[in-house]
Amino acid sequence: MTDITSLRPLAAVLVSAFAVVPILASTGRPNVREGWTVLAAVCKLGLVASMVPAALRGDAFVTDLGPFVPYVEFTLRADALGLLFALVASLLWLVTSFYSIGYMRGLDEHGQTRYFAAFAGSVSSAVGVAFASNLIVLYLFYELLTVATYPLVAHDETDEARAAGRKYLAYTFGGGVAVLAGTLLVVHLTGTAAFSAGGIAGLASADPTLARLAFALLVTGFGVKAALMPLHSWLPDAMVAPTPVSGLLHAVAVVKSGVFGVSRVLLDVFGIDLVAELGVGGVLAAIAAFTLLTASVIALRQDNLKRRLAFSTVSQLSYIVLGLAVGGAAAAQPGDAAKWALIGGLLHIPAHAFMKLTLFFCAGAVHVETHTDDISDMAGIGRRMPLTMGAFAVAAAGMAGIPLIAGFVSKYFLLVGTVSGGYVVFTAALLVSGILNIAYFWPVVYTAFFETPERSDEKPLVEAPLGGYFGTATRADGGQPNGGRGASSHADGNSDSGHDHDGGWTRYAPDGSESTWFMLGPILFAAAGSVVLGVVPDAAVFLRIVREIVSAATVMGVVL
Amino acid sequence: VTVSDLAALVVALPIFGSLVAFLAALVRSKSGWPVAVAATAAQLVVATTLAATAFRDGKISYVVGGFEAPYGIELVVDGLTGTMLVLIAAVSLGVLAFARRAGPRSNPFYAVYMLLVAGLTGMSVTADLFNMYVFLEITGLAAYALVASGERGRSAVAALKYLLVGTVGASLFLLGIGYAYIGTGTLNMADLAVKLAANGYDATLMQTAFALIVVGLFIKVAVFPLHTWQPDAYAGAPDTVSGLISALVSTVAAYALLRVVFTVFGTAFLDANALAHGLLVGGAIVSIVAGSLLAVSQSEVKRMLAYSSVSQFGLVVAAISIGNVTALTGAAVHLVGHAVMKGGLFLTAGLVATETGARTVEEFEGLVERSPVGAAVFGVLAVAMVGVPPTIGFAGKWYIALGAAEAGAWTLLAVIVGSTLLTLAYFARLVERMFFREPPADLEPAIERVGAVTDGGDEAAGDAAGASLGMYAAVVAAAVLAVALGFVVFQYGDAMQPTIESLLS
Repeated sequence: MTDITSLRPLAAVLVSAFAVVPILASTGRPNVREGWTVLAAVCKLGLVASMVPAALRGDAFVTDLGPFVPYVEFTLRADALGLLFALVASLLWLVTSFYSIGYMRGLDEHGQTRYFAAFAGSVSSAVGVAFASNLIVLYLFYELLTVATYPLVAHDETDEARAAGRKYLAYTFGGGVAVLAGTLLVVHLTGTAAFSAGGIAGLASADPTLARLAFALLVTGFGVKAALMPLHSWLPDAMVAPTPVSGLLHAVAVVKSGVFGVSRVLLDVFGIDLVAELGVGGVLAAIAAFTLLTASVIALRQDNLKRRLAFSTVSQLSYIVLGLAVGGAAAAQPGDAAKWALIGGLLHIPAHAFMKLTLFFCAGAVHVETHTDDISDMAGIGRRMPLTMGAFAVAAAGMAGIPLIAGFVSKYFLLVGTVSGGYVVFTAALLVSGILNIAYFWPVVYTAFFETPERSDEKPLVEAPLGGYFGTATRADGGQPNGGRGASSHADGNSDSGHDHDGGWTRYAPDGSESTWFMLGPILFAAAGSVVLGVVPDAAVFLRIVREIVSAATVMGVVL
Repeated sequence: VTVSDLAALVVALPIFGSLVAFLAALVRSKSGWPVAVAATAAQLVVATTLAATAFRDGKISYVVGGFEAPYGIELVVDGLTGTMLVLIAAVSLGVLAFARRAGPRSNPFYAVYMLLVAGLTGMSVTADLFNMYVFLEITGLAAYALVASGERGRSAVAALKYLLVGTVGASLFLLGIGYAYIGTGTLNMADLAVKLAANGYDATLMQTAFALIVVGLFIKVAVFPLHTWQPDAYAGAPDTVSGLISALVSTVAAYALLRVVFTVFGTAFLDANALAHGLLVGGAIVSIVAGSLLAVSQSEVKRMLAYSSVSQFGLVVAAISIGNVTALTGAAVHLVGHAVMKGGLFLTAGLVATETGARTVEEFEGLVERSPVGAAVFGVLAVAMVGVPPTIGFAGKWYIALGAAEAGAWTLLAVIVGSTLLTLAYFARLVERMFFREPPADLEPAIERVGAVTDGGDEAAGDAAGASLGMYAAVVAAAVLAVALGFVVFQYGDAMQPTIESLLS
């Protein structure tokens, strides 16, 4: 464990922040503007990736900018945990940049300069969150991330978008306040806010009640962006943003910054041993289990594809939190339960990122090409967009934990961790959620490939009234009754939407003619990424980084 | 000339400038502005020299007229005073850059302007309680006159209200000084502190003096519910004047409160008198919460900003009530930070009104298309005011909150940290309207700026209707400072430590 003084972490954070200026300056020349975005994304990825080998050896690059406020140094430190998040964010930013070009131009969106500038700023903040070396610097970038993503949420400038933006600000700044209060408590108790592997030493001897309060405040604050119930409701509303934003920010960068904050708190502020001693790990795990089940059930009833994906995100984020929390709760036990659970939770960060990004990209491509947003209007759409919906099917299978796709590996570790730790309740929750995942994703795949607008089947699980035979005839989400499906819902479809007005979809060969490669390329890349993570997890660098993190965080210290 | 003579010069210089500005009208009309610029620039040099010396060598003392200290008037410059001197000079100079185009342009205006600078400077450097009252009155009278310099009837009414309420405040302050003098027979602050301790902290005379002085200054600081003059005065004054007085007048009054509470009465007095301490804590909490709630309900932008000040000065009073090194450093940081941010916001509101005529929250809709620079600067300053790091707004809040945690003042800590959300509540309304709404449809085409960039490009800015380069420079400088100062706070806090420690000893 040596620290290497270097400007690389700072450069990795700033490169996209600096790109904001030329992006804003090239308003009238979209190709130049997007050139800057891609250039910054490539540089950022290169800088982040260049620090990975050192992290795998257990070393870390450090930029020290001197004291910031009392007790707090302004230091950026690219350790393994930070690099895990930074690598996911910067790799997927590059992918999303290309996708954004196809999406924003495909829809001829307004305010594209603001969009790309805010996007670059958001990724800067996300990498800043990753490399923060103490709670205050983390808080700094966490708040900047809120500020930078707000223009993206409110992008549409409709009443709905503005309301979503307000809600977003209120929730996330509320969370920020809790983080600040928790940080103040930690500083008050220990005289430092700096992360250290295994936890800040002074906390163990501090007043347990205050320590628990600090833990609760910090986890609540980060839990807002991690969409822990009941603090999740900003996330489905934020789906009003353009789809690349929903994809990269509200499935990867923003929500993962919350999850990342939780993992920093558990691993590097309190340390899993202290978490076990304080008995807060079990509580957090229970909240996570509740969230992942409830969100899955709600997802069943969402007809709007992006909202269904949003609730799926809420649910999947809690897998990560559950893994971390079980790791904390099981730390006191003999055996490797804590280690398995931590690996599972942390590995789910990249795994979920790749899969959910694929799903959002697919939803966006469908929106651009056919202006279809509701699942009930997607019967037979697999003919129109074979590659897109094929990628969707792969990623959806991964979400449900089908082997050979990324989701399986992380869930497998989670299951092993919960079982060997004796937390059978959580194992059951994970399994039930897996079934629910199939229940809400399969109808999408089924309707896309095996139905046509004329010939479709009942979908009792997602459409029948809640309460079965005794339930009322209205649908729980207030959507239109089944009879409303069909041609009338396609009233907004323009002439080149590929929808012939007899009710069927024009058939396209799976050769890329269904859409632009600006969108298909990223979709296929992300889908391929989820398969690689699932087939050869050890070859993909993420699992190795995760093992490095876990071996540093657990006292057992045996590298698996 | 020694450095300590500069302590006298720093007060004399703006008074001299005021006279010259007044007399220059006999030679040539509208010649006040260059005189004021020259005087404030010189003032800035003197203030910076004094502050640098005070930070490097410690306290500077000067006795007026050669009378010995407890009897004669003493002027003292320590780190805190130095901070205020530089702040006053720098803000006055910045506002002058704005005033060149925005007006008012008459010579008497600039004469009063300089008189206000003199009053504020005098309040900062004096170490004599009665002398502080004199400068408080000079400040007050100059401020009433400046508010009244607007052309509308509204300015006159606001100034009258300010005069009535402000005079009550100054009178209470004077009454308090009287009680203190009866009890101790001295007016020198340091001497008062010694004799006060000798009298005992439970002497009724002293408790009364404390209550009168603090309530008098509460009026001047505009602590809720004694704030009623302030929104009218800030909103009714010309834009230049609201920028100046919102940045400086309440700030120096809060400085006076800090100075009197700690140099004259001291922490031991607060420890011995729970009620005195409660007065400060109560004022702080009520001000923070009520000021924000009132700000949310305003429809006029300048009134909203005014109520925001009520809330922000609650934070400073909170820091005074906590009274440890960290919190008082936070008070100094927040006084400076608030001055930069709020002064900048008022000037930006003036700039926006000049460019587009928009003065209400509703009229700010779609502002980014009509006044890109105004909207961008307003956005940055609003974010800083909310306290998003790394801005100065965050730094001040962090110091004060940390001080509250160190002192175990949990209620205050909760209010201070929660104030972030309250601040967000009123600024988010505006930011959303500026950037994410279409401009109102019934806009006259004359003020629609065709082809304006949506992101605040500076090159398109210079030719905007009515606004001068100086106006842009002033508001952009405020935005840059609001962010940049956040990075030097730690060094400043270090430099302030000896000053604050001697204040608390």
